[in-house]
Amino acid sequence: MKNYKMAWRNLWRNRRRTFITVASVFFAVFFALVMRSLQLGTYDSMYKNIIESYSGYIQVQDEDFWENKIVDNVFVNTGELTETIKSDRNVEDVIPRFESFALASSGSRSKGVLVMGIDPEKEKLLSDVESKLVKYRLTEETVEKIKSENIPDYLAENMDLFLGNSYSSAGRLQIDLGIKKSDEDALMPLFEKYASVDNGYFSMGENAALVGDKLAKYLGLERGDTIILLGQAYHGYTAAGKYVIEGIVKIPNPDIENKIVYLPVDICQTLFYTNDMFTAMVVHIKDNSDDAIDNTIKRLDINLENPYRVLGWREMNETLVQQLDADDKGGLIMIGILYLVIAFGVFGTVLMMTAERRREFGVLVAIGMQKTKMAGVMVYEMLYIGLLGILAGSGVALPAIIYGYHHPIHFPSKFTKIFEEYGFEPELAFQWIDKYFISQSLVVAIIVLVAITYPVVKINKMKEVNALKA
Amino acid sequence: MKKGLIAFLLIVCTVLSVTAQDAREIVKRANDKINGEESSYGIMAMTIIRPEWERTLEFKNWTRGTEFALTLITAPARDKGQSFLKRSTEMWSWNPTISRMIKLPPSMMSQGWMGSDYTNDDILKESSVVDDYTHEIIGEEEIEGRVCYKIKMQAKEDAAVIWGHQIRWIDKKDYLFMKAELYDEDGYLVRTELGKDIKNMDGRLIPSVLELIPEDEEGYKTIVVIEGIEFNIPLEESFFSQQNLKRVR
Repeated sequence: MKNYKMAWRNLWRNRRRTFITVASVFFAVFFALVMRSLQLGTYDSMYKNIIESYSGYIQVQDEDFWENKIVDNVFVNTGELTETIKSDRNVEDVIPRFESFALASSGSRSKGVLVMGIDPEKEKLLSDVESKLVKYRLTEETVEKIKSENIPDYLAENMDLFLGNSYSSAGRLQIDLGIKKSDEDALMPLFEKYASVDNGYFSMGENAALVGDKLAKYLGLERGDTIILLGQAYHGYTAAGKYVIEGIVKIPNPDIENKIVYLPVDICQTLFYTNDMFTAMVVHIKDNSDDAIDNTIKRLDINLENPYRVLGWREMNETLVQQLDADDKGGLIMIGILYLVIAFGVFGTVLMMTAERRREFGVLVAIGMQKTKMAGVMVYEMLYIGLLGILAGSGVALPAIIYGYHHPIHFPSKFTKIFEEYGFEPELAFQWIDKYFISQSLVVAIIVLVAITYPVVKINKMKEVNALKA
Repeated sequence: MKKGLIAFLLIVCTVLSVTAQDAREIVKRANDKINGEESSYGIMAMTIIRPEWERTLEFKNWTRGTEFALTLITAPARDKGQSFLKRSTEMWSWNPTISRMIKLPPSMMSQGWMGSDYTNDDILKESSVVDDYTHEIIGEEEIEGRVCYKIKMQAKEDAAVIWGHQIRWIDKKDYLFMKAELYDEDGYLVRTELGKDIKNMDGRLIPSVLELIPEDEEGYKTIVVIEGIEFNIPLEESFFSQQNLKRVR
């Protein structure tokens, strides 16, 4: 009889034993995959957050701007530059920006702010400031009014928790306040009626500003008020201007929300005395996978001569990348520990199995079976077990991860506030099936292969006489 | 023996305090000479030099003691009419394009004034070279043919100054600031100031050109030329008011 056939029959001779061993591999693969997917998914959503609300994937800047962000390190947008960038096959469009710092003031309060001149239409492709305009606000007054209506207890409780918060989407409001799907139709009209805020957007040439929610609160500004910006313009001239606030925006990153003022880019250029000059061209790309981004950066680097510099999002968000890299190392250690536990689990099962079958091995050799053939059968058995476990593990993990990818885990209302303060999205996202899927399965396969060596060595060293007595 | 030791220490202390007093006196005389004992009114031009560009702006400057100062930009056109007021520790800025008065936060004191290498603190003289430092003569050197005291000024611990210490060269005969080296708290040289082109102005001899060279920026320089200056003119405290900040011409 062929080795592999014999091994297969051996497996089903003692089903319970096989099941236990397969289960240990199955859980190993399943947990490693889900854990890794959650971890990578969370990083991904944090990166997306900052990329899409601020830096973009790739920027072209003056070569000195990144090191020294002053308005003197700007460049004139020649049509040639835009054309060169746009001619790249992965580039969808080019979004101009003018970014600088200024002192914002309103009456007696002043604060250093980040002034971002944007193209109101093109920016919709990337950070889409318009979609971030505050739509609902839970002021004390609105909360009282909503409470006076017939509402469930949990909502009243959660509204107190989130008193003073602003929301740019109904979805987020529902998550924070824990509004159930079944209550949505009954409750949302209340928020439309009492809590909705009217905000406007701006267009090119309009002397208007959009201000981050937290910054507006600090300066005591509302829509229709005037914000004063004072700073240093091109070549040391004074930048001074006053703008009517057209809208208040909610940025997912509290750090940025605390200091951001948006102006139409041409108005911003007038303020800083830099006609037709920009601090950055944000490159909007078609394919945003890591490899595609790296290759696009390389191509742009070759095509753009001095004084331009091409920056990728990793370079622009160095602190976040480093933080998450450090966290990733921690995660890898956790997975390492998980593997260690799994390895000993698998090894323990194999050890037990070998000891259990000692007499059987002894008898087989005594009646004339060669040791090498027996070891071969044993290897096949282990491979079957490993394969079954890995297939079952990834087979179950796959739908779980796909489901999680489409339905991120939301935390109960109590926790979302904490997450928000740290600047995280209050959800656990899963990473779509990727390289990690194969690497995790591979590691478990290696563990199984290492475990195989034990019975093989044991069989070869076996003394038949002693084994028969076992 | 013990008495002798105490007497000796006393003598040492007096000697030390006398030289310290002298050094302080020298700095005070030099400072009074250029800033005026009571008040001053100057017309000045400032040229900012950068590796890629340079520009000049003109301004008028009124001071009364160390408490009050008012500065008005007169050129170029884009900056014209901006004014700055200092009353003891508070600082205000008036900008005609936005017709707003803004109180400058203390955090802006160490930032460059009008894009130059001068900080707001330098222009509005929030700290005093006389009162905020302890002075010590550490030698004599010749600068541009003039014999100078070399004086080390250590910032007092409770003083609100951005420098750790300064070394100033003050002309022995006429009490002129000829050169200064300003160091940060870690003892690194941050900038050098040079007094040049000594002229007789309003009856006193002063350097009419001040050059400021920051240490760590290659090719950066700011030159202030005093075009005219009057000392100890009558200036009331009410001149340094927020109302006058908007009106002053």
